[in-house]
Amino acid sequence: MAESLFQEKLHSGQFVVTTEVGPPKGADISEMVHHIDLLKDKVDAINVTDHQSSVMRFPSLGGCIVVKEHGGEPILQVTCRDRNRLALQADLLFAYSRGIRNVLCLTGDSIDVGDHKEVKPVFDVDSVQLMKLIKTMESGTDAAGNELKGAPKFCIGASVHPEADVIEPQLVKFDKKVAAGAEFFQTQGIFDLASLRRFMQYASQFNAKILAGIIVLSSARMAKYMNDNVPGILVPQALIDELATAEKGKGLQKGMEIAVRFIKTIREEKLCPGVHIMAVGNEGIVPSILEAAELAAISS
Amino acid sequence: MYSPTLDNTQRYRGDKTSASSPDHSLIPPCQVACPLHMDIREYVDLAAQGRIMEALQVIREGNPFPSICAYVCTHACESSCRRGQVDEPVAIRALKRFAVEFGGDRMVRAEAETTQVEKVAIVGSGPAGMACAYYLRKLGYPVTIFEAQSEIGGMLRVGIPQYRLPREVLDTEAQRLTQMGIEIRTSTRVVSLDLLFEMSYKAIFITIGAHQSLRLGIEGEDLPGVIDGATFLREVNLGLKPTLGKRVAVVGGGNVAIDAARTALRLGTQKVSILYRRSRAEMPADPSEIEQALEEGIEILFLAAPVRIERRKGKLSVTCIKMELGEPDSRGRRQPVPIKDSEFNTEVEALITAIGQAPQAPQDFRLRIGRGSTIQVDPVTLTTNRPGVFAGGDAVTGPATVTEALAAGRLAASRIDDYLRHRYPLAGKDTHRVLEGELSAETVEMIRKIGRLEPPVLSREVRTSDFKPIELAYDWATAVNEARRCLRCGVGAEITSQDRCASCLTCLRVCPYHVPRLDASGTIQIPIDQCLACGICVAECPAKVIVLRKPYERRHIAEELNHALRSAAEAKLKPFIVGFCCQYGLFGTGTLAALWREAKAGIWIVPVLCIAKVEADHILRAFELGAEGVFIAGCGTQCARENTAASIRQRVAKVKKTLAQIGVEPERIQAFVLEAEQDPGKELDEFIAQVGKLYLASTLMEEVRR
Amino acid sequence: MIVAEQKSLEEIRRMITPYQRVLIVGCGTCMTVCDAGGEREVSFLHSALRLAQAKTGDSQHSFSEHTVKRQCDPEFIDLIADKIAEVDAVLSLGCGIGVQAIAERFPDMPVFPGVNTSFMGMAKELGVWDERCAGCGDCRLEETAGICPITRCTKGILNGPCAGTKNGKCEVSKDMDCAWVLIYRRLERLQQLDKMRRYYPPRNYRAVPRPKRIVSKVGTAAGESNG
Repeated sequence: MAESLFQEKLHSGQFVVTTEVGPPKGADISEMVHHIDLLKDKVDAINVTDHQSSVMRFPSLGGCIVVKEHGGEPILQVTCRDRNRLALQADLLFAYSRGIRNVLCLTGDSIDVGDHKEVKPVFDVDSVQLMKLIKTMESGTDAAGNELKGAPKFCIGASVHPEADVIEPQLVKFDKKVAAGAEFFQTQGIFDLASLRRFMQYASQFNAKILAGIIVLSSARMAKYMNDNVPGILVPQALIDELATAEKGKGLQKGMEIAVRFIKTIREEKLCPGVHIMAVGNEGIVPSILEAAELAAISS
Repeated sequence: MYSPTLDNTQRYRGDKTSASSPDHSLIPPCQVACPLHMDIREYVDLAAQGRIMEALQVIREGNPFPSICAYVCTHACESSCRRGQVDEPVAIRALKRFAVEFGGDRMVRAEAETTQVEKVAIVGSGPAGMACAYYLRKLGYPVTIFEAQSEIGGMLRVGIPQYRLPREVLDTEAQRLTQMGIEIRTSTRVVSLDLLFEMSYKAIFITIGAHQSLRLGIEGEDLPGVIDGATFLREVNLGLKPTLGKRVAVVGGGNVAIDAARTALRLGTQKVSILYRRSRAEMPADPSEIEQALEEGIEILFLAAPVRIERRKGKLSVTCIKMELGEPDSRGRRQPVPIKDSEFNTEVEALITAIGQAPQAPQDFRLRIGRGSTIQVDPVTLTTNRPGVFAGGDAVTGPATVTEALAAGRLAASRIDDYLRHRYPLAGKDTHRVLEGELSAETVEMIRKIGRLEPPVLSREVRTSDFKPIELAYDWATAVNEARRCLRCGVGAEITSQDRCASCLTCLRVCPYHVPRLDASGTIQIPIDQCLACGICVAECPAKVIVLRKPYERRHIAEELNHALRSAAEAKLKPFIVGFCCQYGLFGTGTLAALWREAKAGIWIVPVLCIAKVEADHILRAFELGAEGVFIAGCGTQCARENTAASIRQRVAKVKKTLAQIGVEPERIQAFVLEAEQDPGKELDEFIAQVGKLYLASTLMEEVRR
Repeated sequence: MIVAEQKSLEEIRRMITPYQRVLIVGCGTCMTVCDAGGEREVSFLHSALRLAQAKTGDSQHSFSEHTVKRQCDPEFIDLIADKIAEVDAVLSLGCGIGVQAIAERFPDMPVFPGVNTSFMGMAKELGVWDERCAGCGDCRLEETAGICPITRCTKGILNGPCAGTKNGKCEVSKDMDCAWVLIYRRLERLQQLDKMRRYYPPRNYRAVPRPKRIVSKVGTAAGESNG
């Protein structure tokens, strides 16, 4: 019995599509709601990011509740940067109580890259320890060994970085995550299929489902900015050049073309069981990408 | 009371060592090697700063007749100079000559007054006798010198040719002795010591030298035309001009033989040859003398000795035999062995013998005579077998050097004083250790190699035409630059308190010569035999526990600064600017002194011995006491030490940062690095203008505030 | 080595404003080594404060200075008790420990910190200091080939790396190595990669609450040890 529709889809053999919405910096969530409504029937699950890039925002947990309320399938992103074990366990119990069953466990970007550079980073646990923590709770006790009155159950996921320039440590980490209980993975942005192929060869020995992360770039400048400032993203020069060929104002279109191209190749070559589309502020264009990539609408 | 120790360190410039800043310097090898144990390091350092008069003052403290040594000393100091381990020894004797020439030695008057009653007689007026007379006179004794020749000086007068030691130099010294009140009786041969005692002399110093030439011991030695070298030189030096003829041979290998040969040449002899029975390596004469003789065209036949002299047709026919070196004798010198059937003949008009001299003490003196006809004395007290009779110089040692004779005379003076004052002579105690050890290869590698700068000499043609001195004095720039090559052995850094040392390893990391090192127990040691006293670690040590071993070096800058600033309180010219300026090279006395004189602004120079020693604190203090601007001027690539400019620049950067926080603009400090003859005027003008603007701005602000 | 950096002159001046006689106390151990508060820095600061006073004319302090071997042992501070008694405030250039030690020993005397104590570290080269140890009390360098993940990984994670590394550098700065890449490489070199493959549970942050105490010897009261 699957914990969630998303988990069911993961094991169904069909191509899985997820995407993400970024919550607002403020109490006015109308735009986020609009995006959720736009996407909830077109994808298998929607991630709500958790202070992405360490910028303070409306929380992932709140966003997931909204997704649930609007009939979508949420994936709760939990980072270890901001909460200690007490807070993490509490949030997970709360999430479970509101029907949120999918969790993406992340270490979290460091404080320095965000907009609150002076706050104290927590990192009481890292992503692997977090997954173990969830497993512990699922078994009926909390992290200190006390019995839980009502144990939660989740579909646990993690991130992986197939294009890391020093890949071996990442692979070691990947192994650990799988061993710790990760059922699905959403990768960092894929820009080099050769790396992905190599990684998938390695990853295929495991049971975990890898969803290739697709970042939609909107301009050469944006690509360069991400290279310099966003952790884990490395856009190759060839793509930056391709973006640069776009006419003025048509950068996003070019980015979408590139994204669609990647998605199609991955699907055709059966490289990964699915994709995770990150529009980074341009959530509105995701439906067009889906259409262009011939990904049928999924209804829950 | 002078006691013979190695420590001849005098206290100069009124600086008194105190318990709080003791002098831990080590005695450098040059000082040890010098028979007079002169403070060579000190006067070379003064010469390196262009302070020639003070250098001369230091020289005079250790040597009563520096002008003589300046010409003829055999400079044992140079042979032990550690600069020789890097490239070549420092030209110490030439520097002394320079100091004597330019420091106004001629003008120094010697004065003394009589405070004792006991009369002392000195028999012989060579360097030992002159020195003894000088020191005894300084102690207040009435002194009489008896000299058998018509002029005083002993070997200085009759032995050493005038092209090596000019007549005027000797005459000036003689005059000085007379000015001091020493009675000199020339042309007076002493035949009996008893007579001297009857004349109420209470002590006698015999220093009759070694003037009796040794005989060759061959047939024909007494033929006319065969002259002994000592007599020959004496006659020439006293103004006679013996006829020699066209070809002359000299037998012997010591300085007398060379002197005789070169003198013969200057008298017009066309061909002069020297016959020496060993090889060049064993020749006892000064190597530079041999060199110069060869340059002048004198032929030296090595491994040859005369066996028979005959007279034929008005010339001398000398039969010689070739030699080879055999087994070493008791002193280690290889004995020459005649090669059978290798005789050859040479024809000359005159033959001069110069195979050695011996003293000739009259039998009537009743002195105990020892080996080589020398007078026997007790090595500590210099007493002979007769009470009240002392002896020293060549008469005791056999032919030796001028400087050794001076040292003997000085020692004799103190011994005679002990005797007359009924004191037991105490052995002197050295308060300073002697520096030993060679420079490590690591250190030598980091020292910039600069060849020795020799003083100019007259060309061969010019110099053999007369008896003018062949070596000229340095010019200023050369002298100062040569003096800067000195490594300043023995005044290097020391850690004053291992307890306060935090072992931070800053000194180890900052030393350009890799000198400080960790010993086996992990304690930092700064080996004194490697340190070149650049002062960088002293300025950088975070615990301030490193000092240089001479107190003058340590307190120098702080004192100078205080002095400068107190005086500058009355400065009329504004803005008031303090300049820390390196004194080495010609900067101190030349370039930068000119700035002071020109006084474009109220510039006050704080002299420093290398800008590496200026600490951040010193700069702050200058500002605190009213300076509007501070500059630090050093000698750049001319600096005798490495990394000094980089070191001070770092400190200046740090000071600028701190001053910015107080509202003192960084433009108020600047470090200049000057090249040799570069005129600092332009850069300094700009700096002064800059500071001037800031000064005006701040005075305006002051007025506005009021 | 405890490494610190001197506070800005401005901040120091502000702290001592209300006090007339100020004693600047240096420390002859760590603070000397890291150029923050040894004899030379004390002397320099002293001069700078006097100069600042002369320039701005807005304060009337009189300064004295002294450097003790260590400030973290009361016996050393007691040696300058008489000097402390003569002033109105103490400006300590010792690390945070030293400042507190003096304050504790002289509770009626205002004691101010002249340096910002920053970390435990070592010299990379003359004048350059790198943090190396966080004093976590649970050293796990055996597991990470002698490279501390708590100090050198900016997030301090034990199952590293995170996904933020780029070119072997941390996401925080291009000059900072990713500790986990370093750890991987060195474990590989030592043929101990299996250590990285192990799961490391979350840290035990404190056995007892802060401030910690370690007892290395049990003291004996006088007269107790016999019988």
